Amino acid sequence: MTLVPVTYKGGIYQHDIVTDLIEDLGGYVVQKHVLAQEVVLQCFVPKDDIELIREISRPLFGEVTDSPLVGTEIAIVSPSLEIHHLPHPSCDIAEYTRRLGAKSNMVGMARGVGKRIAAINDEERDVINEHDIAVFGLGNFEHCIEYKMPNLRRGIEVPIVLCGGPDKEALEKIVDPPVDGYVGNVGRFMHRTKEADELGKLDEIIAEITRVLEKRREEIAKDPLSVAPARLMNLIRERVPAILDVTSPTPLTVQMKGLRVKLPYDTFADAIRKVEIEDGITIGDVSEVLPSRMRDYIIIRIKPFSETNVVI
Amino acid sequence: MSSVEYFEVECEEKKGAEYYRQIANDVLLDHNLLRVINKLHIFIDPKVPLFVATGTLKKITSLVRVRDIANVNPLEGKITLVIAEETYLAPMMKIFWERFGKEHVDQPDRFTVILYDVTEDPKAIEEIVIADPSKNLFKDLIYAFRCIAPEGFRLRKETFTSTRFSFAASENLLSEDIDQIIAEKFALMGETP
Repeated sequence: MTLVPVTYKGGIYQHDIVTDLIEDLGGYVVQKHVLAQEVVLQCFVPKDDIELIREISRPLFGEVTDSPLVGTEIAIVSPSLEIHHLPHPSCDIAEYTRRLGAKSNMVGMARGVGKRIAAINDEERDVINEHDIAVFGLGNFEHCIEYKMPNLRRGIEVPIVLCGGPDKEALEKIVDPPVDGYVGNVGRFMHRTKEADELGKLDEIIAEITRVLEKRREEIAKDPLSVAPARLMNLIRERVPAILDVTSPTPLTVQMKGLRVKLPYDTFADAIRKVEIEDGITIGDVSEVLPSRMRDYIIIRIKPFSETNVVI
Repeated sequence: MSSVEYFEVECEEKKGAEYYRQIANDVLLDHNLLRVINKLHIFIDPKVPLFVATGTLKKITSLVRVRDIANVNPLEGKITLVIAEETYLAPMMKIFWERFGKEHVDQPDRFTVILYDVTEDPKAIEEIVIADPSKNLFKDLIYAFRCIAPEGFRLRKETFTSTRFSFAASENLLSEDIDQIIAEKFALMGETP
């Protein structure tokens, strides 16, 4: 059964019918937003059953759309958190990915600015490595990007999408070794993206992120994970009731190969490791429960089938 | 940028120059500074790296006096001021308090200030200077250029006079010939040092 990421939008009235249906079909609701009279569900559903969900939600005026970024956590890396890069363009990109279902985090570097002085520190590197993909929003000059990119990407193991002022071809030429994705003509600017061509650029960034993530999904499919991250999310929500008291927008953040749990590591790590998934297999058996570099959160990295020999 | 007589961004990288033109325009527009700039030449060399902005200013509006923002009406031992423009009300009150004492200054509502037992001539009160917009203007200009300049260029040299300004910034020590570079840029605009 292949699960595909979709977004359901509909009225709040009787939306639990849809939620139940998704769960009965073996899908997972990753995020649920209730906005006044509207509900937005970001979920994974079996590919063959999308039509069925459309059918059943039609009387409720529900709408099911593909959203390839659901279930991913994206780091939007900006050289600093100064006015030069925020709120435009970094926040614009972050917000746009969020609309399409991703959980995006802004990573502002302490010393990512300038040319010669640009650097990344170990905390930033580790935080970025906890994400599925890193989107670097750099400046307008070829020469500058060429000079500082090797410093900024040092130690980063997740795929990188590089956004910069020069053309895509120019970016491809100057970055060595190549990164996974490039989007040109999106450098530093100081106004809101609202013109059609600027929104087109944001769409281009999304397309590039999607392409890179698709590639990563394919790689994961070759050696599937022992358990689906969304399933662990539901399990933890049931068995570790403390998560229900967390006020973060996404107390459990689903990633492609794991899960971020926004509970203190020291107190809850053991409890989470001992949660039984099925037939005596616990979360600790199929995954690594590690302290996250982001606050005192927990990060769960699910082991692939080749390491555990189980898929549940 | 229609109100600016001369506006150029000089850079080896054409695309970069184009972006910086847009950035400069956005920032100056946001800070409402286009109206005071007459000529502007920005020079960027990402190889050094160096950012230089030179320009001339339009005549900056003169000092703000009490008569510019209020009507002064002397009446039976008290002087009533009817405020037309609130922007400079706070600095005006501060000056009145210092000059006449708090017990002589009253503000019954938002648009009225009453001075009791003040011996000063109402004409003289009208002439009191309450603000100098050009002081803030320089601060605003420096802030705007810090926004326009590439980030991380922390070593700066700025000169602002009432008619012209120059702003040079880099992440490295500014070279010794920086004054010469600035003079060259002024010359490009047709300005002699």
